[in-house]
Amino acid sequence: MSVNAWIVVGDQPTIGNLITVARSLGGPVGAVVAGPRSVAETVAASGVDKVVWCGGPDDAPAEASAPAVAETVAADPPRVVLAGRNPGDRVLLGAAAARLKAAVLTGARTVSMDGDDVVVVNAVFGDIADETVTVSGPVALLLDGGSVPPAAGGSASIEEAAATPLAIKVIETRTSGFDEVDLNEAHRVIGVGRGFKAKEDLAMVEALAETINAEIACSRPVAEGLNWMGKDRYIGSSGAHIAPQLYFAIGVSGQLQHMVGVQGAETIVAINSDPNAAVFSQTDYGLVGDLYQLVPAITAALK
Amino acid sequence: MRIVVAYKWTRDPAEATVRADGTVDWSRAKPGLSAYDPVAMELARQLAQATGAELIGVTAGGKGVAVPIASKAALSRGLDRVVIVEDESLADAGRSELAAVLAEVIRYIGDVDLVITGDSSVDVAAKMVPTVLAGELGWPAVAEVAAVSGTGVQAGAVRVERAVPGGVQVLEISGPAVLAASADAAAPRVPGMKELLAAAKKPVELLDLAALKVPPSNAVMTVTGRSRPERKARKGQLIDTTDPAAAAAELVTALRAAGTL
Repeated sequence: MSVNAWIVVGDQPTIGNLITVARSLGGPVGAVVAGPRSVAETVAASGVDKVVWCGGPDDAPAEASAPAVAETVAADPPRVVLAGRNPGDRVLLGAAAARLKAAVLTGARTVSMDGDDVVVVNAVFGDIADETVTVSGPVALLLDGGSVPPAAGGSASIEEAAATPLAIKVIETRTSGFDEVDLNEAHRVIGVGRGFKAKEDLAMVEALAETINAEIACSRPVAEGLNWMGKDRYIGSSGAHIAPQLYFAIGVSGQLQHMVGVQGAETIVAINSDPNAAVFSQTDYGLVGDLYQLVPAITAALK
Repeated sequence: MRIVVAYKWTRDPAEATVRADGTVDWSRAKPGLSAYDPVAMELARQLAQATGAELIGVTAGGKGVAVPIASKAALSRGLDRVVIVEDESLADAGRSELAAVLAEVIRYIGDVDLVITGDSSVDVAAKMVPTVLAGELGWPAVAEVAAVSGTGVQAGAVRVERAVPGGVQVLEISGPAVLAASADAAAPRVPGMKELLAAAKKPVELLDLAALKVPPSNAVMTVTGRSRPERKARKGQLIDTTDPAAAAAELVTALRAAGTL
């Protein structure tokens, strides 16, 4: 069986979208897993045709198996290799792309086959423009992985690849105290920006979030730099891309890099003290004023 | 020990506009060091200082990446020298072509223990050049690195920290590696007059692309169409906030009427 699309998987079996895309291209779909054996088992039950597991010792991160992943993919060269966006998966995809000397595209909106060519509508430059790219030869696609795929009934057999891991090992893991979140699951999201003066002030956002059953997210500097919340909560070109029913941008200036992450939102409300803030040109409802007065007022009005 | 920082001299798409036919107008965008590269340079500088390593900047790109202002911007951030490949054919190079060129430059430099890059480039933001580069070199790669230090035991071995969901992981790597720094891995300093003057005297080496003998890609990419993505039309309705309570009530009424709440 010659594989048309390989999915490379690290520590998380969050590949539902990758399976959908790979299946849409036709032909057998293989998965190569560098993470724990349990991930390979979840993947094997998800309806792929073939699974190769090349996990290393317990203290080896998925990245240690990058050469084994690359060899597995190259031994049955595909048209397309797919991976999700988390850091470990990017490393595995990079190794496979280098080994195949493949083209790499990271902004695919649609992927299709045209004869032997792969045609990708690819968002470029922070999603400001789309390019239709026709690729002859192997192509590596970095995509939103999606959720854990449901069991499809039956299970592919799991082949084990002998792997010599790279010299990299985990020597310690510490918890950060931040809760994990999947912003894509939320129907309402409140994004906070640098308009807030102190971390304690986020209490008023928590009150609003509780009232409308929303998740709290942020602009990049709030998660990186200020470190007020976990990195899985920042929205933007290199962070989460979300499409909730309602997005509140509070104290967010609305730079391109942030707003591309919420373009899919059905309704956007912005609160900012600066009437010239870029965010106001991209919102449905804009409130120019002091967020410290407006946020509690909105919470009160909702009750 | 020898540390390479791979950097990019490019433009910020926030300053570009997209024409109706989907082509990008960069004319108002000023080139500069890519936004997160100063973070990588500062992280590398601190490690180089602590370990006595030589610190070398590397870049590859189209016309303009070797202009004096570009190399000075890089050199003023603590690099000892820069090695540059400037070739117009690289202006539209894909991620894997660029990574393949950088791999050859790193082989040319020789004895490199560590390559450090920024989180992502400000223009393309693919986050893939460092990982393909590691694949080309056969080295381990770690992305989203928040801290790096020598182990103090083995020359060239490093200990890195990176954020993982819900926490931080500490990794030990022996032998050469590629690290992509997270955007907040270090606080870059703004170079002063002293650094700028010193930068003007540091070595700049230009390499000829053809001489590097970069193995060709197996894929040919052709752009067969361009378009400006349809943006969702927004109402753009401003609510008077003179009275915050009235503004809040108006907003809530509007959201309820639209079925959003």
